[in-house]
Amino acid sequence: MPQTWDAIVIGSGMTGGWAAKELTEAGLNTLVLEAGRMVTAADYVEHVPPWAVRFRGLDDRRARAADQPIQRECYACDEWSSKFFVNDHENPYTTPADKPFLFLRGRQVGGRSIMWGRQVYRWSDLDFEANLKDGVAVDWPIRYADIAPWYDHVERFIGVSGEKLGLPQLPDGQFLPPMALNCGETLVRDAIAKQWPGERVVTVGRCAILTENHNGRAACHYCGYCERGCITRSYFSSINATLPVAQATGRMTLRPHSVVHSLIYDRGRRRISGVRVIDGETKHALEFRGRVVFLCASTLESARILLNSATPEFPTGLANSSGELGHNLMDHIMGGGANGKIDAPADRNPVGRRPNGIYLPRFRNLQGGPKSPFLRGYAYQGGAGREGWERGTDLPGFGADWKRALRDPGPWHFGFYGFGECLPNHQNYVEIDKDTKDAWGIPVLRIHCTYGDNEWALMKDASIAAAEMLAAAGASDITPFIDHNPPGKAIHEMGTARMGRDPKTSVLNAHNQAHDIPNLFVTDGACMASSANQNPSITYMALTARACDYAVGAMKRREI
Amino acid sequence: MDRRTALRLLSAGAAVTVGTDFEAWGRALHRGLGRGAPLRVLDPHQNATVVALCNTILPATDTPGAVAAQVNEFIDLLLADWYDAADRDRFLAGLGGLDGRARAAFGKDLVDGTAADRTNLLTALDDEAARWNASPETTRGPQPFYRQIKWLTLFGYYTSEIGGEQEQHYQIVPGRYVPCAPADTTIGPE
Repeated sequence: MPQTWDAIVIGSGMTGGWAAKELTEAGLNTLVLEAGRMVTAADYVEHVPPWAVRFRGLDDRRARAADQPIQRECYACDEWSSKFFVNDHENPYTTPADKPFLFLRGRQVGGRSIMWGRQVYRWSDLDFEANLKDGVAVDWPIRYADIAPWYDHVERFIGVSGEKLGLPQLPDGQFLPPMALNCGETLVRDAIAKQWPGERVVTVGRCAILTENHNGRAACHYCGYCERGCITRSYFSSINATLPVAQATGRMTLRPHSVVHSLIYDRGRRRISGVRVIDGETKHALEFRGRVVFLCASTLESARILLNSATPEFPTGLANSSGELGHNLMDHIMGGGANGKIDAPADRNPVGRRPNGIYLPRFRNLQGGPKSPFLRGYAYQGGAGREGWERGTDLPGFGADWKRALRDPGPWHFGFYGFGECLPNHQNYVEIDKDTKDAWGIPVLRIHCTYGDNEWALMKDASIAAAEMLAAAGASDITPFIDHNPPGKAIHEMGTARMGRDPKTSVLNAHNQAHDIPNLFVTDGACMASSANQNPSITYMALTARACDYAVGAMKRREI
Repeated sequence: MDRRTALRLLSAGAAVTVGTDFEAWGRALHRGLGRGAPLRVLDPHQNATVVALCNTILPATDTPGAVAAQVNEFIDLLLADWYDAADRDRFLAGLGGLDGRARAAFGKDLVDGTAADRTNLLTALDDEAARWNASPETTRGPQPFYRQIKWLTLFGYYTSEIGGEQEQHYQIVPGRYVPCAPADTTIGPE
């Protein structure tokens, strides 16, 4: 008789790490299956300077073009960190020719929590009530009060630096001291506060980076390159924080090189009985048995696993009696903004590389405020900085005096970069492409996803409003822009197995539990019923911890 | 600190005290990549021309210049392993074109002129590049070769160990963030 695990967690990244921590701390013997390799501190290269890599940061473009033509679209897939992104030939996917989608992924212990952007913003009831009020898609089965204690729980553990603002649309949390705005940013903040008092607020990014020692992890030392790893564990990733805690319980077994093929459905018990795995190295098929399964493989991979797990009872995909599995794929639209030169003090310059920027929370379509000609809203990230030696190319001159002049910092600039809400749309979906298999013989996804008129209207407005605010701050050379990024580029994909109140129109209930299969939980971005405009990881983490608490209780009650 | 020490600290879950040891650790990694390797694309005359350009654009001053930072070797590496064949050939043609300009200006190849000859020629080329940069993007042609090698010299220098440590006082581990420090504080840009 093979071993039966109390819990099997599929994925070891942002949410898998949390499931591993919460379930093992609750006493469950937990198997964590990770498709990729083990990552250790020896992989961290944040202190390797440009002169110690072959192309000095210009990247090995031939290797990247050959092996990672898609992954290299992410800024973090560079000469230092490309090893944290998948090989595109081993991990194909397809799209219709007229619907490009960037599927940017990391397969290793830690997943994308190693290279994530580290920005964390709570949702509010403005977001949880939006679908109901707008008559879009389905209502969230939870409200802010349901998740608020879990935001607290997650923030206390991971460590979030940020400034309390008292804004209803962006609830405050359990914050460590905020990072500082530089003097270009305070100039813009103050000008905007004067012109739009109480309405538009510039604050420093709320980020999962420690500004003081916290839970055995060291404060940030401002080397600036979190996406290369962090030897002092100063930013949150699952390998820096959650997985070590799970390991310390003695109840976690972490199995890298475990590519999940599908889930095994026991039709008699109407439960998941286990997981089919292809060993990543030997390519042998294996099976693992578990009482409860947490699917934390990422929005698209979790959908793929369920779609590849079809049975006679669930011919279109496991737990898909609603027909919504794979549908309602969203990714934040980003890239409406503006930049310009600002008149900040010429004799001042920041010291240190702050791995964080500014945040300007949503100000459109707020409760009780004016209505815009589009639904929902957007927020900005960005910041101020000074030009460096790169300006030398077009700085007239050469020689000794010119070299001396380049030692001084150049003009101050400020940029706003908008991140807008993406509406859930049944027509944005993924399906299995039966004709294409990955390196492990598993059928891949065919992704159909485009932004709609509302998303583009948000970015147009974001571009105009950003230019307006720079003008209010006295900026010159103001350049509004709209980047026409394909979906996927924000790497905030979500929504392929949404939560909802009605089993007929949603895949998961209010506890991330499959309506159809009580011992199946999906707690990564797949569960999202809408996207809001805030960076989503903190919400995934809070929902994961909340779902673990529920699952442990249900197991104790013998419900599952 | 070596990797083993770093790993031990990590596995012990200790709050690591950050010090300048990390800089040495970073420097030690990958040391020696590409240094002193024979040139693979540039022939001796082409290399001498690149060296002369580097020396004129970023000369040694109170800090070493682009030649000490082996910018010519970095450019050769890019030509061998980074540019595609068409771009490499365009670069080499552009380099040859500068000899044409030099002969027209002072009757010799660029490397055979005096320092003053080279400065005069580069002054003219720099003006042309500035005019190109100021012209509308929609109507101007490809960038002048001089602008390309000016950028390569800058990039090769400031991303070198000499350019980083001696010219910019680049700190791998600043250890702090000071939002509005005096602008002459010695720390490199991002």
